[in-house]
Amino acid sequence: MAAPAVSLLLLFVAVPFVASIGFSLYNVRLGDPRDPSFMGLTQYVRILTDPDVSGQFLDALLHNLIFAAVVVPVQTALALALALLVKKNIPGIGIFRSLYFLPVVFPIALVAIIWRLILARGDEGLLNSALTFFSGGTFGSQDWLGSELTALASVIVLSIWQGCGFQMVILLAALQQVPAELYEAAELDRANGWQRFVHVTLPGVRTTLVFVALYTTILSLRVFDQIYVLAKSGGGLNEDATRTVMYEAVTAAFDENNIGRASAISVVFFLIVVVLSLIQRRVTTEKEG
Amino acid sequence: MTIGTGLSLALILSACSGDSGGSGGGEADGAIEVWAHAGQAAESEALQSLVDEFNSSQEDVTAELTLIPEADYTSTIQSTSAEDLPEVMEMDAPTMASFVYDRKLIPLEDVVSAETLDNRIGGVEESGTYNDATYAVGMFDVGLGLWGNKALLDEAGIEAPTTADEAWTVDEFETHLAELAEVSPSGKAVDLGEANGFAAEWGTFTTTPDIWSAGGTLMLDGEAEGVLNSQQNVDALERWASWKEFADPNTSGTAFPDGETALTWTGNWMYPTFSEALGEDLVLMPLPDFGQGTKAGHGSWQWGATPAAEDNPEAAGAFLDFLLTDESIGAMVEANAAVPGSTSALEQSELYGPDKPLELFADNLASACGSEDVTEECVAVARPVTPGYPTVTSAFGSALLAIWGGADVQDELNSAARAIDSDFADNDGYQND
Repeated sequence: MAAPAVSLLLLFVAVPFVASIGFSLYNVRLGDPRDPSFMGLTQYVRILTDPDVSGQFLDALLHNLIFAAVVVPVQTALALALALLVKKNIPGIGIFRSLYFLPVVFPIALVAIIWRLILARGDEGLLNSALTFFSGGTFGSQDWLGSELTALASVIVLSIWQGCGFQMVILLAALQQVPAELYEAAELDRANGWQRFVHVTLPGVRTTLVFVALYTTILSLRVFDQIYVLAKSGGGLNEDATRTVMYEAVTAAFDENNIGRASAISVVFFLIVVVLSLIQRRVTTEKEG
Repeated sequence: MTIGTGLSLALILSACSGDSGGSGGGEADGAIEVWAHAGQAAESEALQSLVDEFNSSQEDVTAELTLIPEADYTSTIQSTSAEDLPEVMEMDAPTMASFVYDRKLIPLEDVVSAETLDNRIGGVEESGTYNDATYAVGMFDVGLGLWGNKALLDEAGIEAPTTADEAWTVDEFETHLAELAEVSPSGKAVDLGEANGFAAEWGTFTTTPDIWSAGGTLMLDGEAEGVLNSQQNVDALERWASWKEFADPNTSGTAFPDGETALTWTGNWMYPTFSEALGEDLVLMPLPDFGQGTKAGHGSWQWGATPAAEDNPEAAGAFLDFLLTDESIGAMVEANAAVPGSTSALEQSELYGPDKPLELFADNLASACGSEDVTEECVAVARPVTPGYPTVTSAFGSALLAIWGGADVQDELNSAARAIDSDFADNDGYQND
């Protein structure tokens, strides 16, 4: 019964993972036909102690964690709010549901290009010209993507804008599963809107909320595309303020042909993600129990 | 690391047997595969019609062209094993040595005809040579310069220099930036190509003339420490970063041809667009002089043959010879306004030559040198020819992006130099053939 699933898991997860542990011990170069030379734990030592490599890796890890810490609660809350908004049965509601869902069908690379125009430095940027217009010129042009203060925040905003619609649809489905009788009973008990939300809606969609939060966490750890596009293709994104672990691994592998380092980064990151998942699982199962 | 990448790496590793007698698509019927980058639309169309023309011109060889997006082109070749490559492929000049090191290119002395090789201009010959052998042949070479809008220059009362000797000093350039910002409709004087991405190859190509002109360079004898982070480079790049207040981010992509900025810092490939937009108002100037004479980059897209072509070198040779005829070169440079790569095509050129609009680029190439021995006399300088170039440009590009964003120049160049040297040390300086 489980044989196909297990063999697929072995082929697509276990084999590449074991291979990357192997690669990380050798100096493997992308496209180099020479036999890789053995380096032992050098790549790991560099990731954890070399000021340059390790500094970038730890920065990247920090950015991933900040990203997750902000995006998971904000995006989940926003998705729930949007789902409650579009749950109403009024004419034309389908248009709103489609509009909120629209960004999800855009590839994130395209979204990054759109936001590059919005956040562009100088007076041509849509956001800058809007702010200048509404503040009567008192608010000067900002370099949203280039400044280390706002670079990560900009990436977070555009990522939430793109990802929110997907969670909204999942939560909308969950909201429609909450039995109407419960709301009727709550109204008989003279519960106000807030009380209905806390005591009927939230318990009704709790499992889905946990799923959405878990799913968003996984996505937050995988952040790469929008940062690569904005940093490498002229968005002027501040690389030092936004690099993520995935970005480090991909640039090591494909910009510097250093497969050994990229594999070591992936292995270390895998271990960190496993630990995070275990913690998260423990916390959520306690809640469930 | 995505699963797909992991697997393809496993495949690459399993192919690491050093065998080079692959069979890409070169069957006995004389069909050859050709890979090229999808550049500007006009270039890709010109190339496609050249391939069609080649196929209809003779019976023996059929070339099949595959275009790959420019942004992914080099990494595609990098991650394809030698036996899966087409017989003939294009490459950007500075990546050539790295592909030779990876045994993905074969010497062309026995592939391309001697007439073709002898007819190359100096810059193309230099970009195609590594370890004293020819591994690539170019249809054209490039020029980098400062383009001006004469109407706006006149309004500011500024005279445009036309020859390398007359180049503005960097102090004059900065004075003019402030003056031209006053008359430029956008309030910004220059487009430095920010929208192309300084972290990409463009960054290295567009800023190295500054450091060469200041007396610095990227590497010497396989070492970046003390060279890349030298005082000359720090000073030059500090000045470059200080121009940001006068630089238009050019989000529209058409700031200069629309007359929004007075100056733009870019290459010959923009000439068709610019001359159509500005006509007589377009002027071409040398880049500013940081003290050691004006400098400009050179080295562009060029063609090579892979081990897959060894079974049938005549087919690949016939195709390359066809691409390098004066007619083919003429058709291509009409599309991208590049410097024709053969001596005879250069002589017939409508754009290059005495009193022609782009004479400056041809003159620059006439005095070319390598990045390890930059003299005050030479103008066109090639980026470092080394198999470690991907790391060099990646580390330097990251530093440029950070410097443009306001980071400390010395710190950024120090860490780029350390990253490059560490990579060279891991690979024995890329000496082993």
